[in-house]
Amino acid sequence: MKKNNIFFKVFNEESILIQWNDKVSIKLIDSIISYKNLIEKELKEALIECVQSINSMMVIYNPNKINSKDLINILKKLSTSGFIVTKTKKKIWSIPVCYDISFGIDLKDLSTLNNISIDEIISLHSSTTYNVLSMGFLPGFLYLGMNHKKLYCERKDKPELNIKSGSIGIARDQSGIYPQDSPGGWRIIGRSPISFFNVDDKSPCFAEPGDKIKFQSISLSDFNKIEKNRSSYDIKYKLL
Amino acid sequence: MIKVLKEGLFTTIQDIGRFGYKNIGVPVSGSMDQTSAKLANLLLGNDESSAVLEMTLVGPTLEFMNDTYISITGADMNPSLNKQKVLQNKPLFVNKGDILYLSHSSNGMRSYLGIKGGFNSEKKLGSKSFYRGITKREKLIKNDKIKFSKVTSSTMKMNKSINDFKINRKNKINVFKGPEFDLLDSNSKDIIFNTDFTIGINNRMGYNLVEPIENSISSIISSPVMPGTVQLTPSGRLIILCRDCQTSGGYPRVLQLDKSSMDSLSQKTIGETIKLKLV
Repeated sequence: MKKNNIFFKVFNEESILIQWNDKVSIKLIDSIISYKNLIEKELKEALIECVQSINSMMVIYNPNKINSKDLINILKKLSTSGFIVTKTKKKIWSIPVCYDISFGIDLKDLSTLNNISIDEIISLHSSTTYNVLSMGFLPGFLYLGMNHKKLYCERKDKPELNIKSGSIGIARDQSGIYPQDSPGGWRIIGRSPISFFNVDDKSPCFAEPGDKIKFQSISLSDFNKIEKNRSSYDIKYKLL
Repeated sequence: MIKVLKEGLFTTIQDIGRFGYKNIGVPVSGSMDQTSAKLANLLLGNDESSAVLEMTLVGPTLEFMNDTYISITGADMNPSLNKQKVLQNKPLFVNKGDILYLSHSSNGMRSYLGIKGGFNSEKKLGSKSFYRGITKREKLIKNDKIKFSKVTSSTMKMNKSINDFKINRKNKINVFKGPEFDLLDSNSKDIIFNTDFTIGINNRMGYNLVEPIENSISSIISSPVMPGTVQLTPSGRLIILCRDCQTSGGYPRVLQLDKSSMDSLSQKTIGETIKLKLV
């Protein structure tokens, strides 16, 4: 982290926004995550939570335990302490996706829009290794980067009112997974039969920012088989 | 236990909110008017984080299956117990079999019902606050039953009524500059602080403001937002995010409300006006 590329701003009475002006990259995300881990270790009960994002982070604190001025000084010190980006082995998750056009409701439009065949969309999407950039929007919604440039597309002008749980969407250079039924504007290219957010689990979401994801194309009959036993489906991963 | 005889317009269980899960996209939730909810608990000698009922515009009809103490704060929904008018902002004893009626709010948007010891509904990710996909219910419906602790003599510590408490009905809303504020041109800044904004469609996720302003700022990379964040949409409309808002967003964050202004805003209904003031 270059010192002059990081900015600290009081956001409200209990949060500080940290913003990086570096180019968005996996390296930046890894160092934000390591910085977050360090803040959590150092601040202890004065910290309520750190919310990591793609090129920024919100530090929410308890104003009865620390004031914003002291907190910013600590955060600045920690950012220049030359901490080491944790080099743990990364998980690469394998997510089954059925790209049937009954699920991929926007495949045809995207094919016309980007002048690319549906087969090529599927092959590009399922051969890319995605990085979990951040989570947000819905409980367990994963922001994944980056799509192949041939898949680049803007969000739909008019959002769909009900995108089904498990739907895989793309927008700009990112892919995303809808963990529950929801309105949404991403272009839907397929659906996964598995469950992405389980509120009663110790970790409700299987992945975390910094992990990697690869989509595995499955047939409609495999989709139905997995969906029938979705509660017992173990999402597979390899260590990279 | 309480039995819901009529559900009202939008009645939920809320507490101070869900903390530590924003990182996986779970909103903070919790009572929209934290001051009124805390008062409801304070009157009963409860911990301020105890779960209360949040009732919106039209209140529910509730039957008590056990004796207990309750308190009603926030917007005035003309409460009555067995058709006898009862006062807000003071502890009330209710008998088993009593029926509490809450009707249309005549002043404000949200009323709060506190109960001795708090409601014992399901706790998910550290909070009882209702939220779709997290709790089983997103609002109470007819025939729902809500548990609460039995009143014992040792839990009888209570506070007197607070007569001079009134919900904040001022139309001045205090704001800080948001991260993208300085990207606004000076004309837009002028308009923001010199317009009487009308409250448009609103819910626990956000309040839309009707009057558009010119928007020359493009979308930003998806970044953290908080309750109280004022986003500027591509069509030039301002949206004030509330307790159930998503954890990140791509619209420019031009302003941020202070906490007490969040409480006043949450008592405003469609058609009322507000004035934004920089602090």
